[in-house]
Amino acid sequence: MSVSADVYVPGEVTLPAEDGLFALPPPLEPGASASPETHRPTFHGEGGTLLGIQIVNVFLTFATFGVYWFWGKVRVRSYLCSQTELEGDRFAYHGTGKELLLGWLKVAPMLFGGYFLLTHAKLLGGGRTWRFGAIGASYALFLVFVPFAQVQALRYRLSRTSWRGIRFSFRGSPLAFVRLYVVGTLLDLLTLMLYSPIYATRRQAFLTTNTWCGDRRFDFDGDGRELIRSYLRSLALTVPTLGLSWFFYLAAKQRYFWNHTTVGGARFHSTLTADAYLSLKLGNLVLRLFTLGFGWPWVTVRNARFAVAYLSLVGALDGAGIRQDARDASATGEGLAGLLDGAGFDLG
Amino acid sequence: MRLDWDGWYLDGETAARRRARLTLGPGGLEIAPADAATCAWPYAEIEQRQGHYAGEQVRLERRGGAGAAVLVDHEFVAALRRVAPADAARFHDPAVRSRRIALTVLAAVASLGMAAAGYVWVIPGFAAVAADHVPVRWEERLGASVTQDYASSRRECADPIRRQPLEELLAAVTAPIEGAAYRFRLTVVDDKTVNAFAAPGGYIIVLRGLLDETDTPEQLAGVLAHEVQHVLHRHTTRLLFEQTSTGLLMSLMAGDPGGTVAFAPQAARVLGLLRYSRTHEEEADVDGLRLLQTGGIDPRGMAEFFEKVQKRVGTEPSLFQYVSTHPKTAQRIERLRELAAGGTRARRVLLPLVDWRRAREVCTVGR
Repeated sequence: MSVSADVYVPGEVTLPAEDGLFALPPPLEPGASASPETHRPTFHGEGGTLLGIQIVNVFLTFATFGVYWFWGKVRVRSYLCSQTELEGDRFAYHGTGKELLLGWLKVAPMLFGGYFLLTHAKLLGGGRTWRFGAIGASYALFLVFVPFAQVQALRYRLSRTSWRGIRFSFRGSPLAFVRLYVVGTLLDLLTLMLYSPIYATRRQAFLTTNTWCGDRRFDFDGDGRELIRSYLRSLALTVPTLGLSWFFYLAAKQRYFWNHTTVGGARFHSTLTADAYLSLKLGNLVLRLFTLGFGWPWVTVRNARFAVAYLSLVGALDGAGIRQDARDASATGEGLAGLLDGAGFDLG
Repeated sequence: MRLDWDGWYLDGETAARRRARLTLGPGGLEIAPADAATCAWPYAEIEQRQGHYAGEQVRLERRGGAGAAVLVDHEFVAALRRVAPADAARFHDPAVRSRRIALTVLAAVASLGMAAAGYVWVIPGFAAVAADHVPVRWEERLGASVTQDYASSRRECADPIRRQPLEELLAAVTAPIEGAAYRFRLTVVDDKTVNAFAAPGGYIIVLRGLLDETDTPEQLAGVLAHEVQHVLHRHTTRLLFEQTSTGLLMSLMAGDPGGTVAFAPQAARVLGLLRYSRTHEEEADVDGLRLLQTGGIDPRGMAEFFEKVQKRVGTEPSLFQYVSTHPKTAQRIERLRELAAGGTRARRVLLPLVDWRRAREVCTVGR
């Protein structure tokens, strides 16, 4: 799994870097005042309000034996979306609790069935070869499942998000992403992770170029080669800096991803720095540790603010030229990703 | 009332935002966007999408309106509620916040109630059912690891020659049990505390302090018979289920016996402190006494011993833990005495060739 970069996406808390494309762009750039066409997103949410939402969610979830969980999730996503603003308009989330519940119901039998099979595999008998084969097969299945679920969840979430009434959509083929993911992971292993920056960029490129806002496609023009140097430097400094050198790479990666993303005639621009990123993470850690979990809403809000704080969209944002072109998507993908959530994977 | 407002209109076809003149008409909302055709939305078809929180843009959509929306402020919504009272419930009223708070409080109370109910009924109920159905082998495994864990922090008195009389005693006590599913095993631990207890699966632990308090083999036989009944009735298994975290139940349900091992230290900690319910105690007393009678062992030793520790506890309460883990009342001891007197079976002499005062010194090293 790639390192989660806490990129804010409307409606979600944290996301792996590749999903970040979605945090619609804002602008920035010192001296950008020269260009009238610089757009900055803003996040208006407050930790206190989010805590209120969360408390109600917890109690109602408990009182309904868990059923309300899905509706609670929708409330949180709606709040985060509607607190994110671009050019005077808030994003909107259109998902419903019912959809999420149905998506989960479709997927849950797979989870329990799979878990049962795993824990009772020995009942099926078979020798050592068989057992190793089964273990290998489950790893392979997992390798396919993760990217598949990731794409399907993204597809669902984008389809339920809008800006100025125009829906987003994801139109990439899950199989293409699975192929990219499997090949990339294997190459990564073969090259002792040196392929990582290129691989991360390829994933980002795939996810970005398949994301649409109405009839307008996002584009990506980087190949990741520029990241290799930063990657190697962080790698070399891992031991002397106790791992903190990775913040340089993570920040560089985020900047690189955004700076190579365009939509229409506008290009994103990020000024994220490693120390800002580090202080975000340290602050979040302190918040989590000292509030016994009650700090979650503030962590979320900090992440959301951070995601937009260094971002801008430079160029013409031709609203009238973006036409509605919505695609439907089922919540089953969301359910799939939910499985991974449950298993401790942060897919966003 | 003010009926004309300014707002923004999104047509749902492009991302252009148009200023619009909004009029709260008699039959619906009339929208007159700049540079676009005027339209009217019946009040019954208008839904509020956003604007439930302070500072949030208010967004009204038309049901089935394919993304068209008007953006207004909270004052407009207040006016809309007044103009269309029949549909007002769908539009956010900040005053309704208090209702939501009430709902939250209600949900909080309900949650607490459910948690309490879970604690009082669900967990014990589940523990009882589970305890009655776990396989003996599983109990044995739990008992073995719990016993091992308990004994490991103390010295176990394992000298086979010194233990011999106690083994004979245990064999005599358990001999009459029919179709015994359990193999009973006695562990003696070098600890001056006066206590004895049963772990699941047939493991019985007696502390040296209790041995020192017994005057006759019959008294110890009474204690053993009592603990044996706790095992047979699965009292300990049930108590452990209830008193330790639900994690064990989880691992059990998931078919993961590995969880048992992780659970043992926790169980061992509480083992010496478990308090049986009155019902369980009486059950163990009465059935234990019957067991002695069936085996032809003088059951009076049992009541004698209970009475003795009951009297002695006043002198050193912390030492006589047996009294707090096996609470007896004078009434119950009296009842045992009556039951013991009623037995008709021929008595046999336990350990006739043994000097009990020496035999009970299982933990003495050398000499």
